[in-house]
Amino acid sequence: MGSMLKKEMRLSALLLTYLFIGFAFMTLLPGYPILCGAFFITLGIFQSFQSAREANDVTFSALLPVAKRDVVKGKYQFAAFIELCGFALMAVLTALRMTSLADSPVYRSNTLMNANPFFLGMALVIFGLFNAIFVGGFFRTAYKLGGNFIAYTVAAFIAIGAAEAMHHFPGLGALNAFGLDHLGLQIGLLLGGAAIYAALTILSYNKACRDFDRIDL
Amino acid sequence: MNIVELKDVCKSYPAFSLKNVSFSLESGRITGFIGRNGAGKTTTIKSMLNLIHTDSGEISYFGMPLAGNETEIKQRIGYSTGTVSWYPRKTIREIISVTKSFYRSWDEDAYRRYMELFALDEGKKPIELSEGMKVKFNLLLALSHRAEVLILDEPTSGLDPFSRDELLELFKTLRGHGATILFSTHITSDLERCADDIVYISSGQIRAACSREDFMRRFGRPDETLEELFLRLEREA
Repeated sequence: MGSMLKKEMRLSALLLTYLFIGFAFMTLLPGYPILCGAFFITLGIFQSFQSAREANDVTFSALLPVAKRDVVKGKYQFAAFIELCGFALMAVLTALRMTSLADSPVYRSNTLMNANPFFLGMALVIFGLFNAIFVGGFFRTAYKLGGNFIAYTVAAFIAIGAAEAMHHFPGLGALNAFGLDHLGLQIGLLLGGAAIYAALTILSYNKACRDFDRIDL
Repeated sequence: MNIVELKDVCKSYPAFSLKNVSFSLESGRITGFIGRNGAGKTTTIKSMLNLIHTDSGEISYFGMPLAGNETEIKQRIGYSTGTVSWYPRKTIREIISVTKSFYRSWDEDAYRRYMELFALDEGKKPIELSEGMKVKFNLLLALSHRAEVLILDEPTSGLDPFSRDELLELFKTLRGHGATILFSTHITSDLERCADDIVYISSGQIRAACSREDFMRRFGRPDETLEELFLRLEREA
């Protein structure tokens, strides 16, 4: 584990952030917009950013014998670590809903989004939006959090709303595949979500490094 | 030998500018960086740590420019401020255990020695420390990785007279071991106690950078103390 990630996990992070990974269990809720679980996981990361700001964390990091780029890298690594822990838990629970719990009446009569690979892909899109809008936006000033989080929240709920609505449109029913139906399409959509996550994270990381290098602490 | 050099460093803010700041620090000497509040001491120190971007000028340590060698240079320097509290709700033990992993020259013996000297308790959190103990904790971080250059921003602020005395004695001991120290202050008696050299800044400009004796000779009047001299210079400025 890199020193900066270790520093993020042991000094900058709140216990709450780790506990909020548990919102991945919302994947099991029937009749609920389960993508909100991804949003709540990022809400936990936001809390750590807020607490780290009050602890003068960014200046402390910048004084360590590391390049300024490494300060940005540490924050991105921490966000990605929490997101991927949440994603892994969501993936296990989704696999459960798609297989052994597939015949459960509460899931059969579910009117909202089913837990399937498309759902997982959309969770990754939401994590990518968090990294691009909130984490990336934070490094424009290294202290402003609120505006970036509001912008991310708006984007995340538009994505959640769109994901919930799309399968109601003619021809898009396969997005809400149940169990192992339309598996090829579903895996493709998951990979698409992963590609969007990677692109949003990498592009915003590079921009955040440039922005952070320009600002005065 | 000059171990730190600033050459024509400029930085402009809407309401304040550092103008062609130039001075150097000699190896094994204590330099007092003096100026009234808002004169540019902290801005200069932040430039020396690459926390702010200078508009122009050059800063070098150990003959290496800061730009491009920041990581290596930060391994060999220590910084402490009397006013900032890092991670107020983490224990000293937690903060140290993470911080030391960044320094290849971390000296566990020195760390233990300073913990004892400063009477710090590893189980305490910065929020539980008095202002003076916070200063000591920040100093502990700077001193435990065998820094060759110590940059200390108002390290004596908030300290009681006994702690200040201990600290100034410590500076002299560190100087005896070859450390180079720059400390900013507006407490002139600190300078009289231990500074070899004085860098005097006023309205963002360096007015003098020389030995303490030269400073008194150039600007002082007969029987004038450093404090009286400093006050007079500020009133005349």
